[in-house]
Amino acid sequence: MKLLHLYHDIMNLYGEYANVLALREMILKSGEECETERKSFGEAVDFNEYDFVYVGSGTERNQKLVLEDFRRLADGFQAYVAGGKAALWTGNSFEILGSRLTDCDGRDYRGIGMFSFTTVEQNKKRSTADAIFEADFLDKPLVGFVNKCSEIEGIGEPMFRVRMGLGNKTGDEGEGIRENNLFCTHLTGPVLMKNPGLLVYVTRLVTGKEVAPNPLMVKGYEITSRELGKLLENGQ
Amino acid sequence: MKVFFTILICKLLRFVGKLIGKGSSLPGQIALKLCPDILSRVQLPSHIIAVTGSNGKTSTVEMIAHILRGSGKKIAWNREGSNQIEGVTTLVLSNATLGGKVKCDILLIESDERFARYTFRYIRPTHYVITNLYRDQLTRNGHPEWVYDAIADSIHDGTRLILNADDPLVSCFGNGRSDVIWFGADKLSSDTETLESVYNDGAYCPVCKKPMTYSTYHYNHIGHYACTSCGYKRHDTAYTITSVDLDGGEMEIDGRYRISLALKSLYNIYNILAAYTVARIVGIDGAKIAADMNDYVLKNGRVITFGLGSRRGTLLTSKHENSISYDQSLRVASAYREGCDVLIIVDAVSRKYFTSDVSWLWDIDFEMLNNENVREIVLAGTYVNDLALRFEHTDIPAERIHCFADINEAVDYLDSGRKEYIYAITCFSDKGKFLARVKGE
Repeated sequence: MKLLHLYHDIMNLYGEYANVLALREMILKSGEECETERKSFGEAVDFNEYDFVYVGSGTERNQKLVLEDFRRLADGFQAYVAGGKAALWTGNSFEILGSRLTDCDGRDYRGIGMFSFTTVEQNKKRSTADAIFEADFLDKPLVGFVNKCSEIEGIGEPMFRVRMGLGNKTGDEGEGIRENNLFCTHLTGPVLMKNPGLLVYVTRLVTGKEVAPNPLMVKGYEITSRELGKLLENGQ
Repeated sequence: MKVFFTILICKLLRFVGKLIGKGSSLPGQIALKLCPDILSRVQLPSHIIAVTGSNGKTSTVEMIAHILRGSGKKIAWNREGSNQIEGVTTLVLSNATLGGKVKCDILLIESDERFARYTFRYIRPTHYVITNLYRDQLTRNGHPEWVYDAIADSIHDGTRLILNADDPLVSCFGNGRSDVIWFGADKLSSDTETLESVYNDGAYCPVCKKPMTYSTYHYNHIGHYACTSCGYKRHDTAYTITSVDLDGGEMEIDGRYRISLALKSLYNIYNILAAYTVARIVGIDGAKIAADMNDYVLKNGRVITFGLGSRRGTLLTSKHENSISYDQSLRVASAYREGCDVLIIVDAVSRKYFTSDVSWLWDIDFEMLNNENVREIVLAGTYVNDLALRFEHTDIPAERIHCFADINEAVDYLDSGRKEYIYAITCFSDKGKFLARVKGE
């Protein structure tokens, strides 16, 4: 199996490289071999080589540079997703896949256009929150953290239901977007390391095998769920 | 009259607050309600020195105050570390006469980096030190560029910037300004040729975003950098660490002043250098500063030596949600040649707000503890599983790691006949739970 951590050196603000480590550990446990490649600006990428593609979050300025660089890779990636292969984009990375991005100065950027949604940024207030998200395809909710300064408009069928935290735009009950096995969420950090349920699910997609997650991960998840549950009870 | 009453009330509240042990931001908060522009209605001293940045603010300000007071200057400073506009208002008004004249030679302000733009709208620093910009409390701060933009809004004409030349993002504040004073370190014996960090915040030029190269790294992305494209590079320094011997515990500034170090960390030498730089600018003799800084032990309670049964150790207060702060502490422990055990506690991520986010653990270079100086590693607190999981992704042998959800059990475990020195590494939010179980020295 081959994993690609794309824009590893610039879209990696919140320890997000650990998403790739988490999946790698599961693949090795499944008995498969696993190789991780890290690529960035200007490097050639043949998506056919990979079984999983990961992109993490970056600063607003860096995200715009990635958008420009990714244009040359967009067709290949769209074919990859259309073929049903797995990818995870966390934080603000997936905003570039929409149809338009507007920065805090009102400047417009044409998006990759895989999705029709649009994103508008501001630079006054950072929107951050601990989060609990539910998904139809998972038994247990996801836990994590959202850290952004943007609002996303035009996602008709979001991937998650917001139990706590922030949705695609203020007041939204939906978060993220999914297309085939491309998972896009504004959760930041090592989402797969924190959520054994999602990790098992993605591992199944990638390897076709059922693999038990690391017990430490399961315990860590339970404690975070408990702590966030208390917060939810106390009305956030 | 309004000024008179506002100052009077602030002073009274401060007096009562001190008696009952309350924090120092409430009096200022009430004063600002009574008179929102009170800070522009007081008469400020000729020197206003501000310090901001991710790390080292409190220590740097304490050292500046120590040196300046030793030279007979009257200093007013926010020693309790209330560093937002309310705390600064308390500081200013409680040092003012009822007529509104601030009675000191130098007003010394530690300022929160995100809120400096509000404070300095009214109080324009004459000198403004910016120490560094790191990944720090990102659950509130977003990321370093976000904080950079917030600080940029707090810089006004007429303020002399004093910048850390070795920090590529901080140095950007000096672009287009001719009157910046730069401090930094020459290539040091403790430097590395390659980056030693989990991530590289110096990979790309903060100005043009093309790749940067480093001729030397002091620690993490702090060092001598140059952009491969636009010509942006580390600035020459006016005040400089010319050599350091961390093992021997000595640093040298400007090739002539030798200072013996109570705390053998790179952090500490940068804080000392920043304090030295300010003191020199104020006109104090270098030799006098060096004498004042010799073996200086910080009084802000961030480094505390303790006894536990027959064992001894040091608590290195490190900031949760701040990987470089942790890296510094880990570096101190891993350099302890006589052999040490290391305790790491993550129980409450913050004392000021709630978050359950432990993403930052993955940015800490725990691999540093994979070293013959470090014997046992004890992990403790609510998030012990996340810590243990993080350690599984290092090459540190599992048998050296011991985990306890309960901090008391971790302390009981350490209270053994072992001879190794103990380094306890944790944050403000968790250190009290540990200190309650040991004997401070």
